[in-house]
Amino acid sequence: MYTELNSILNVTPDSFTQGEFILVSDRQSDASFLIHHFLSFYLRARCKVCFLGLVQSFSHYSAVSQRLGVSLTQAKEKGQLIFFEGLKESLSILIPQETNPESQAMDFLRDPSVGLRSLYEFVRSSLSSSGGEEKGADRAEEWGPPVLLVDDLSVLLSLGVSVGAVLDFSHYCQATVCSKLQGNMVMLVRCNGLEEEDDGDDESSDRLLKGLTHQCSLSLHVQGLPTGYCRDIHGQVEVCWRRRQGDGTHMQKKLFQFKVHDKGASFFARGTSNAVL
Amino acid sequence: MLPELLQGSDAGGFLIIQDSAGCSGRHLLKSFINAALNREEAVHVLGFEISEEELKEELKGSLTQRLHFHDAFTDPLGWTDHPAFTVHQFGLEELTRLVKHTSHAKPAILVIDSLSWILRHVSPPVVCRTLQQLKKGGAVRAIIGLLHADMHQRGAVGSVCHLATSVITVAPRMTGDEALAKITKRSKSGKVVQDEEIFSIKEDLTVIVMSKPSHTGLKLTDPENQETDPTANLTFNLHLSDTEREAKDKLALPFVFSKEKKTALLHSGPGSGRILYEPDVNDDYDQEDPDDDLDV
Repeated sequence: MYTELNSILNVTPDSFTQGEFILVSDRQSDASFLIHHFLSFYLRARCKVCFLGLVQSFSHYSAVSQRLGVSLTQAKEKGQLIFFEGLKESLSILIPQETNPESQAMDFLRDPSVGLRSLYEFVRSSLSSSGGEEKGADRAEEWGPPVLLVDDLSVLLSLGVSVGAVLDFSHYCQATVCSKLQGNMVMLVRCNGLEEEDDGDDESSDRLLKGLTHQCSLSLHVQGLPTGYCRDIHGQVEVCWRRRQGDGTHMQKKLFQFKVHDKGASFFARGTSNAVL
Repeated sequence: MLPELLQGSDAGGFLIIQDSAGCSGRHLLKSFINAALNREEAVHVLGFEISEEELKEELKGSLTQRLHFHDAFTDPLGWTDHPAFTVHQFGLEELTRLVKHTSHAKPAILVIDSLSWILRHVSPPVVCRTLQQLKKGGAVRAIIGLLHADMHQRGAVGSVCHLATSVITVAPRMTGDEALAKITKRSKSGKVVQDEEIFSIKEDLTVIVMSKPSHTGLKLTDPENQETDPTANLTFNLHLSDTEREAKDKLALPFVFSKEKKTALLHSGPGSGRILYEPDVNDDYDQEDPDDDLDV
């Protein structure tokens, strides 16, 4: 959890807006440090978290979170964190074994054209069932609003899922998590190509990013510096609020530069890095 | 022209608000809903991308009993057991039934948020046919639709926009609150009017037109610039008097060679150095025969 980012977004683990869809995107850069931020943020905020980790193993996220001062293993044992390890699950579908019962969530691997309905069902059941369990058994602790984190959606495109199917998936997740359960949602999308003018035949990841931008309420777009590599500034992040804010503005954009450290990240206004001043 | 459109579209009107990822047109759509509600008209909203709570939250001030929300947000594809409205129900009969269901004396206004969602799942010809039938059908007085233009191929956007009587394209401005609206309006006589306006939307969803950045405005300022003389009010003197001009003409420029200068440079005076050169044998080196000096 990066406190500087919290103050930019005007949130704390004790008070944050519910029902938000936060889109994290990057272009020729790496925004995964923001996923780690949000993971540790929501775990500290005592939310019930469902994490769809499609690109890395659990131990990877666990190791990074350890550095940020949050233990994923403990959170998992307490029932606060539901970790979906996409790499393992896909393996169990591709190489069926008797020992681990295969789940339905990754069904789209067999036939990408069926869409992501089963993955959505997994999200819905893991986040909304928590309410019933709490009432039934006292042993479960009370958790805050549900949170869905996805790292990252563009991997689904590589697995053969169409852009439309991913947008449907995110729409259903938004309708369930943000609107019905009043929770939050953070999704990461990565674009590799350069930004191009509307050519009609954009790359699919660009189309996905546009569609999700229309859906989200807050977007964080990470880019490299336009002037090239720099040792002291790792890139810039554009924060864009798309819903009406308290002061009545519709859309607000702010640009910050950042540097990722070993145990955190610092954010500063353009041109005010320590190396410059 | 924007206030004019907000005031009330003609019967059979079809308005499209086009936006892109950089600038959302949903606020303008809400303003249109608000304006219609204030005119005491019944408004049916087909919400694919917006939840009922979110829509009604901002319309708090105005009367919402004439607002009928058809929920296509929670389950547009029928993934759960009891979908309220799915995208495949988007057809003339179904929509007429929905609108007629609440009996009202006069035909209502149908708001679609957004057409993009429908276009992603239903083929453009089918969407166009349904829209055209609705327009002619008489069940609805006017249709207002939001369209994310950057999510579709140009052909699909074009064909839907051809059906519309008015198209408002929203584009971002430098400051966050303002936006630029490019309006194309086709009147029944076939006349097409185009206009550009800068607008902002207040908290109570009223639209304020700030100014017109249209090209006529630019042309108005142009002749002004031509008339004004840039040398009129200068703090220094641009003109030369006769004596000043004479003095200027007399002055020799530093790097112009006059005859005196040339002779002074070429014929050096007595006592200056001189170069003596005696040709050496080694200097007579033949490029073409490098082994010339060998005794063979």
